[in-house]
Parts: sequence; structure tokens; C-alpha cells
Amino acid sequence: MKPAGFLIATLLLAGAAPAQQVKWNFDKLAARASDSVDVSLDGALLQLGAKFLSDDDKDQAKVKKLVAGLKGIYIKTFEFKKPGEYSAADLESFRAPLHPPDWQRIVGTHSNEDGETVEVYIKNDSKGIGGLAIIASEPKELTLVNIVGAVDLDSLSDLGKHFNFPEVEVEKKK
Amino acid sequence: MASLDDELRSALRRREPSPDFTERVMARVASTPARPGRRLPQPWVRWVASMAAALLLTAGGLEYRNYQGERAKSQVLLAMRIAGGKLNKAQRKVQMATHRGNS
Repeated sequence: MKPAGFLIATLLLAGAAPAQQVKWNFDKLAARASDSVDVSLDGALLQLGAKFLSDDDKDQAKVKKLVAGLKGIYIKTFEFKKPGEYSAADLESFRAPLHPPDWQRIVGTHSNEDGETVEVYIKNDSKGIGGLAIIASEPKELTLVNIVGAVDLDSLSDLGKHFNFPEVEVEKKK
Repeated sequence: MASLDDELRSALRRREPSPDFTERVMARVASTPARPGRRLPQPWVRWVASMAAALLLTAGGLEYRNYQGERAKSQVLLAMRIAGGKLNKAQRKVQMATHRGNS
């Protein structure tokens, strides 16, 4: 294959390559955590879940719209009995895969009041935002969010304003 | 002792069957009524049984799919609650800082 052809083929393959989730290793923290939440939704599960969301409920309809452009949602939350169960090195290991040029840190906030730090990273692709990663650390809690696909940040943040999604509806039939 | 051996040998010696032995056996076989085999159920019974099995399988499959869907839905909502909450918190802090900076 000629160099130009090879370059074009490589670019085409790169464009066609599926967006991938961030590779984080949770083994160390899982052993120290007193409690954890694990959400792992690949494309198929995400779309199946979206089908069960109600169009009549305003928030669920918003979620449905938001989820339509996504390829995966992966969330891990660890709760610890006491502060200091995770180190700065642990946090650094989660930041490591989120490096430029693929990833860009857009927000970093810290509150002295509750000791919470939130870092928001976005993944750039040819069409715009191709993914989102959030590292939120509190003295006794650590949350890692990875959303794969074109995510609408304003809509997601708007959904986060009010948590009136029915929690009990989880296991109920429609 | 020798006479016992002779008696045994005589009793167990090979004897040729009578010339009509085969004929008699075959006649006996022909005259014995065949034992009735296990009857298959009527075609409609088989059809109903197949339909019931198919219906049960379909209903089970649908129920499982429904369960998976509801589970996935709850996970999506939980994910949105966590991710949206964290993002909103960061956004509010940025807005507050911007507001403070402006005033």
C-alpha cells in the first residue's frame, strides 16, 4: 500500500473505531471501601433501558433524549468509613488516562467547606464532545464517572439540579 | 465314578434337532400375537402441547426481557442522578466564583 493510501486507511479506521471507556483500575479502592455503587451500561443495555423510560414523565423524557447519543455509562462510587482511605496517588492514577490531546480538563473545583473536589474532563472528537469523565472526591467518598458518546453537558447538568427520579420505580413493572 | 462320567457324557451329547424343528418354531412365531406397542397421542394433543410449550417459552422470554429493561432503566436513572449531580455541583461552583469575581 502506498504511504498516502495507508494514511487514508488509518484515518478512516480511526474514525470508525468505537469510542472506548476509560480504563480505570478499582481493585485497590474496592478492598478499602465500606460501600460501593457500580453502574455499568454498555450501548445495548443503555438503549434497552431508554426504551423503558416514560415519555410522559418530563425528567425521564429528558434522560431518554440525552441517552440516545450515548454509547456507554460507567460509574463507580466508593464510600469509606473514615477519611484518608484513598491517597493522592490513587487520584493521580485515575487522572492518568485523561491526558491531552484526547482529553481536556474543563472544570476543576474545590470546596473547603465540605472538602469536595470535582474535576470534569471532556473527550474531543471530530464531531465535538465524544465523552465525559468526572472525578469527584470527598474525604469519605470517591466517585468516578465515565460517559462514552456525544453527551449534552447542559442537559446533564440540568438533570442534576433536581433529583426527582422515582427511586422506588426501579424494580416495579410498568 | 466312571459310570457317572458316562451318564453325563450321554446326557450332554450333541443331538441333532428333528427335521421339522425350524418349521415348528416358525409356525409358533407366526401364531403368537404381536404385543401392542406404545401408542402415540392424538395429533391434536401433540399440537396443543407444542403450542403450550411455545407460549410458555415466549412468555418467559418476554418477562425476562421486561425485567432486564426495568433494571437497565433504573441503572440509567441512577447514573444520571450521580453524573448530573456532580456536574451540576461543579457548574454551580464555577458560576458562584464567576459571580463573586464580577461583583
